[in-house]
Amino acid sequence: MIDRILIEAALLRSRKKASHEAVCRYLERNRKKISSWTPVQDIRFVVFDTETTGFDLKKDKIISIGAIALRAQRIDVGDSFEVLVRQENVGDREAVSVHGLLRKDIASGIDEKQAVAAFLDYIGDSVLVAQHAGFDMCMVNRILRRHFGIRLFNEVIDTASLAKRLEKGPYYNLAHKAGEYRLDTLCERYSIRLHDRHTSAGDAYLTAQLYQRLLAKGRKSGIETAGSLLMK
Amino acid sequence: MPSNTIVERVAADLGKYPPFDRLEPSVLQDLASCTAIHYHEEGEVIFNKGDALREAAFMVMKGAVRLFDTIDGEEVLVDLCDEGDIFGVRAIFGGSSYVLSAQVAEESLLYEMPAEKIRALIVANPAVSMFFAGEFAKSMQVMERTLTNAFDQHKLRYSEQSCRSFLEHETLEVKPVTNVITCLPDISVREAAKIMSDCNIGSILVVSPENHPLGIITDTDLRKKVVAQPGSVNERPVREIMSSPVYTITGGKTVADMVMLMVKTKLRHFCITEDGTVNSPLKGIISEHDIITSEGNNPAVIMKEIMTAENVGHLKKERDKAEHLLEVYISQDVAIHFISNIVTEINDALIVKSIAFSKAELEQEGLTMPPDVPFCWLSLGSEGRKEQMLRTDQDNALLYADPPPGRGEEVHQYYLALGRKVTTMLLETGFARCPAEIMASNEQWCQPVSVWQKYFSRWILTPEPKALMHSTIFFDFRPVFGEASLAAELKRGVFEEIARGRGFLEFFAKNALQNPPPLGFFRNFLVEKSRDHANEFDIKSRAMMPLSDAARVLAYELRIPDYLSTSERFRRLAELLPPEKDLCLEAAAAYEFLMRLRVVNGLSQQSAGRYINPESLNKIDRQMLRNVFVTIGQVQKTLNLRFQLDYIRD
Repeated sequence: MIDRILIEAALLRSRKKASHEAVCRYLERNRKKISSWTPVQDIRFVVFDTETTGFDLKKDKIISIGAIALRAQRIDVGDSFEVLVRQENVGDREAVSVHGLLRKDIASGIDEKQAVAAFLDYIGDSVLVAQHAGFDMCMVNRILRRHFGIRLFNEVIDTASLAKRLEKGPYYNLAHKAGEYRLDTLCERYSIRLHDRHTSAGDAYLTAQLYQRLLAKGRKSGIETAGSLLMK
Repeated sequence: MPSNTIVERVAADLGKYPPFDRLEPSVLQDLASCTAIHYHEEGEVIFNKGDALREAAFMVMKGAVRLFDTIDGEEVLVDLCDEGDIFGVRAIFGGSSYVLSAQVAEESLLYEMPAEKIRALIVANPAVSMFFAGEFAKSMQVMERTLTNAFDQHKLRYSEQSCRSFLEHETLEVKPVTNVITCLPDISVREAAKIMSDCNIGSILVVSPENHPLGIITDTDLRKKVVAQPGSVNERPVREIMSSPVYTITGGKTVADMVMLMVKTKLRHFCITEDGTVNSPLKGIISEHDIITSEGNNPAVIMKEIMTAENVGHLKKERDKAEHLLEVYISQDVAIHFISNIVTEINDALIVKSIAFSKAELEQEGLTMPPDVPFCWLSLGSEGRKEQMLRTDQDNALLYADPPPGRGEEVHQYYLALGRKVTTMLLETGFARCPAEIMASNEQWCQPVSVWQKYFSRWILTPEPKALMHSTIFFDFRPVFGEASLAAELKRGVFEEIARGRGFLEFFAKNALQNPPPLGFFRNFLVEKSRDHANEFDIKSRAMMPLSDAARVLAYELRIPDYLSTSERFRRLAELLPPEKDLCLEAAAAYEFLMRLRVVNGLSQQSAGRYINPESLNKIDRQMLRNVFVTIGQVQKTLNLRFQLDYIRD
């Protein structure tokens, strides 16, 4: 409920300020909440991943966003998204080499504001899916807040939690064996070939394949509507 | 704009398998960007028989999908698709609904590609179109001239490949024929044909009075444009039927140049002129034959060496050379009937020479050949059919005229001694003994005509399925040396006997139906209609024998007197049985494909090539074999109907 109010408020604000068009479009599309009776088959999921300069939620920055859509059990290669974000002052931090992005690549990207605006247009009102979604959501939200004074209002699914829930039931304590639910480990467990690791688009594609298998597993335990999937 | 990283990943996956392995990177990426990825668990149904067609076809990326038909409530397995197989292609070509059901047999990752996109690729890309011509037929379960397409595609792939490896090694110059037989454009077709037959040449060049090449007349031209045409063309001038213009080049071309030119132009004759154009005097001609035989090992040279060999050691050396030649030909994708003819010529020459050596040795031992009792050396089985490419076992026999009364034993002893010597020499040359002892060294198979007639009478008049199976190789006898009229006499006798014993052909036909063809391949297994899948493919018993058996039955039924190979039999049958013409031609092509596959396998394993590990077959070979199996099934069906075998009890 609180989301709806925030959306309306943000809408009013952005209309008045005639701020970024993509933001208006995004808010308009999210005015209505997804019904819990919507069949999972009909939902457009956007599986995404961000690559950042590090893991500090306050200081580190997004250097790329990759995403791919999944609907009716199909991963749609044509409906995918990839953007490099230009960041100044990227130091010699370890993440830079881990991500395989060279500094010149980062410098060649588009600026942060444009990048998230394009992302908003791409996701619309889809249900977002990410591995350890909390981190990626925070990173995107920080940029949104800074530039547009909003945050993401989409429903979110964390593949690690979903996997845990499907494998062990909803009350399993994740803290004990965090390693079991890393992307590499999950991919191995669900026999997904690892490719293009540590690029946001590559990881998003792997996460999408993982999510596709989790949904198939979920179908067998009766998860067929938005309500049962999102536990709402 | 879709993500580059993901599109490239999917494109790389698609590009691993035919026909997409042939696409330009940009075209492949365009296809990848319209692909959707499906994940299905075991047992899920992709589509059912009768469902409306989707606007997409599927490729298995991981896992397995079974395609089945439902007939009277029973599921009949049609195919198992594994990594890289495409199914649901009906969607590409239209129709209203699926004719088969597709169900996931093992958890699967499927790539779904829009039908429209593939249709566009088919129009733009010949390799893709040929691929789907074959693939479509498979999923439609009909076989209509598609095999030919598939063979062309096969050729396309291999000719390119062989050219490349060939180019790296070959810089030899092709020596043109310089004493070219020519004629003027105004002489009659009849005169030209006479010159060709007098000089024993396959083509004649038509030149202007200044000796500039104008055109060429080949055997094919005579067959197609003269013999096949109604009315008399004989007196017309040759310029009316010649192929013109001719392809002209300058001299000094290497084998590699010529092979490339041959592949590119699809021509078989090239004229060498002074300046390389048609407007200068003719200097020579290079034919396909010259190009093929100019490879260091020349069959004519090998033949000559055999003929002048002084001992068995020489024979073995020449046979080894012939085997090398075979490898070269196979790698160059030379037509299989050309290769088998050469190998047969060489093998026959080895036999002839062994007989000469043996005869001389016997003379030294004081035994002379009875001058009044001629003999004939027979090759049996695959060698009798001129199909022996690799050195397999010996299958031979000796036939001699009925000796005058009282001399039977003496003559028999002489020929038996001869048979033993020859088979021993052949063994030393590298042809293993027949494990069933079907050789001229066995007194049972070294007999006069009258005894041979009795053998055949027994097989024909009291056919026993089991005995028949062992005797089929005798029905492929072919005279190799000696008095060929003895073999002809024997064959006439066999035809008469068959006419008397009506039941024989039915038994013979039934024998040809013993082995139904498999469906295809799945990973390392041969997929059978029954559920027992084998992990080894016996190409001889599962694919070649059903065809050679069928060809033999029909050849005997139609009393074809010549000693033909299986594919020659099928080509002849195509002329004799007009309603089955297409099927016979397909069967001939199928058989030659199988022969090539067996030789390739044999050369790589240093064996007779009979057992093939499915793992060693590439996607295209598998697809070809699947089509060949359909052809075999059709041939068996035809045979079954022709002899009404369903009405005969065992």
